[in-house]
Amino acid sequence: MKKVEKKVADAYFKTRTTMIAIFLFIGFLVSFGIVFFAEFFSQFTFLGVQFHYYMASQGAVIVFILLLFLNAILNDRVDKKYGIDNDENVRISGGKTVDH
Amino acid sequence: MEMQTFVSLGLILATFALYIAIAYFNRAKQTSEFYVASRGIPAFWNGMAIGGDWMSAASFIGMAGTLMALGYDGLAYIMGWTGGYLLLTFLLAPQLRKYGRFTVPEFIGDRFDSNTARLISAIATIIISFTYVIGQLSGSGVVIGRLFSIPAAYGTIIGVVIIAVYASLGGMKGVTWTQVAQYLILIIAYIVPIVFMSLQITGNPLPWLTYGNVVNEIGALDRELGFTEYFAPFSESDRSQFIALMFTLMVGTAALPHVIVRFYTVTTMKAARWSGAWALMFIGFLYLSAPAYAAFSRFILMTEVAGQPIDQLPSWTTNWVDTGLLEIADTNGDGILDWSEIAVGNDMVVMATPEIANLGMFVIGLVAAGAMAAALSTAGGLLITISSSFAHDIYYRLMNPTATDKKRLNAGRIAIVASTIVAGIIALDPPGVITQIVAWAFGLAGGTFFPVLFLGVWWKRMNKQGAIAGMLVGLATTLTYIFLALGGITFLGIQDTGAGIIAVPVNFLTCIIVTLLTPAPAQHLQDDVVDLRYPEQMTYKNGEVWMNDGTEEDK
Repeated sequence: MKKVEKKVADAYFKTRTTMIAIFLFIGFLVSFGIVFFAEFFSQFTFLGVQFHYYMASQGAVIVFILLLFLNAILNDRVDKKYGIDNDENVRISGGKTVDH
Repeated sequence: MEMQTFVSLGLILATFALYIAIAYFNRAKQTSEFYVASRGIPAFWNGMAIGGDWMSAASFIGMAGTLMALGYDGLAYIMGWTGGYLLLTFLLAPQLRKYGRFTVPEFIGDRFDSNTARLISAIATIIISFTYVIGQLSGSGVVIGRLFSIPAAYGTIIGVVIIAVYASLGGMKGVTWTQVAQYLILIIAYIVPIVFMSLQITGNPLPWLTYGNVVNEIGALDRELGFTEYFAPFSESDRSQFIALMFTLMVGTAALPHVIVRFYTVTTMKAARWSGAWALMFIGFLYLSAPAYAAFSRFILMTEVAGQPIDQLPSWTTNWVDTGLLEIADTNGDGILDWSEIAVGNDMVVMATPEIANLGMFVIGLVAAGAMAAALSTAGGLLITISSSFAHDIYYRLMNPTATDKKRLNAGRIAIVASTIVAGIIALDPPGVITQIVAWAFGLAGGTFFPVLFLGVWWKRMNKQGAIAGMLVGLATTLTYIFLALGGITFLGIQDTGAGIIAVPVNFLTCIIVTLLTPAPAQHLQDDVVDLRYPEQMTYKNGEVWMNDGTEEDK
């Protein structure tokens, strides 16, 4: 066991929380944001479809999927930067869960 | 038709045999296998199982039809049902996984150290999952019934028996791998027909790229006929209902107990994040295809069926008219069937389109097997959730904490069989429109659980009084709004299916106010919540964070 400086631990948590806030905000813009101004966006077209329709039927879902993968990849990088070893995570997690 | 029944039946029986075989070879021997598949499922396969678990008969059979009927306004379902995975994966899943329990009620009971909260959430879980499973069973009944021209009730009974056998045998471990198989079957069954239709209509096999042009042509046809255009915003509902429905579906998705429990089956927080990403990718394959399915189907109906002489309609029309899902009548008496004289039921679009487009017996049978896979995989996951809420949270944690492993497994199996039978009996005569009931389940899940789970993992000050009050007030608000809206009293034009946008903020406020008015929870409970901020290797203890580097254990 090695003590982690409070500053380091807080920085880890803050990095992750900031990422989540940014991703959720982007997700909110491409769904609720576009729906709210649907009439305005309908004057543009994308791939031959009106933009508000394209975003709701495909664009938003594609952005959601990309955000989730980005989150998983970036989080792994953050873990690495803070010296987290995933094999250790697996080992510790196996012992700590309540399997009653 | 004889030959078609034979082919469809053969394909369905082959897939059933596959599911039962998988469940048999992966049958659960210990409680942790039964409830959380020993927590050893790799993220990629868990993502696929979530896909199968998540996409129900409503997604497979109903969604394309809903989009076809509602145009742009139906897309609230697409964004709501996918966007929920952002909330779930970003805000709840990794923390819930690190907390490491078996079920949602167990998390709530242990986090707030309250058996009252445990009991309320166990009962709410059972109500939500039960509502949902009734929809799946009637869905499978309709599929079997239509295929073999037998009453839907017999179809339901057949579906019930199959589900009860493999869910009680395999538990979560068996269900996980059958869900993977069911995902593969349902996604192939969904995509094959639209690839063929895309080829037929546009000459290009990639429907996701071609259907935009088809949508535009439909728009032109609509203009010619004097209808509102297919893609015009808010022609069938209004902006506030669109947003309320999308919000309700998102929050409900993030709080459905049978989906959350799938995140308990992986090894770590990292695996939970990857599961969420894979899951939405696999779900996306179907959801991105649904608008294409709707567009092609409408295009074929408008161009090939409408405008035909009424006495020369293709043979499939009679079969579907018999089921009551298709209505055609030459109301203006000119001998020609006009587009406005065709009324297509939402639930027939996916099932009938392969027939309408003449895609051949094998594809029609495949679609039937896919629809069954969608209904069975969701029902399997739901039954495990009902069973664990009863056998684990109520029987083991509250009634008989000394029960042996064997006793608890048996209690779980009995709960599955009993709830399947009860749900099956109710599904013989469904209490309402299936899609509507499903939307209520989302409102109830979001309104009851989302704020409590969210504050439970992010706010250490949150206490049991707040959780209990939040769940009860949230549940009551959702139910009240649904009944008021059904009675015609609505707020800002929000209908019963959008109840979550009212209940979730009310639940949040209740949790926060009641928590702040009552004492803070015990220190160890608060420490547990701070601990969820860090990966497994870091532990929060007595105000300090420790890194487990494999050296000596700290006493």
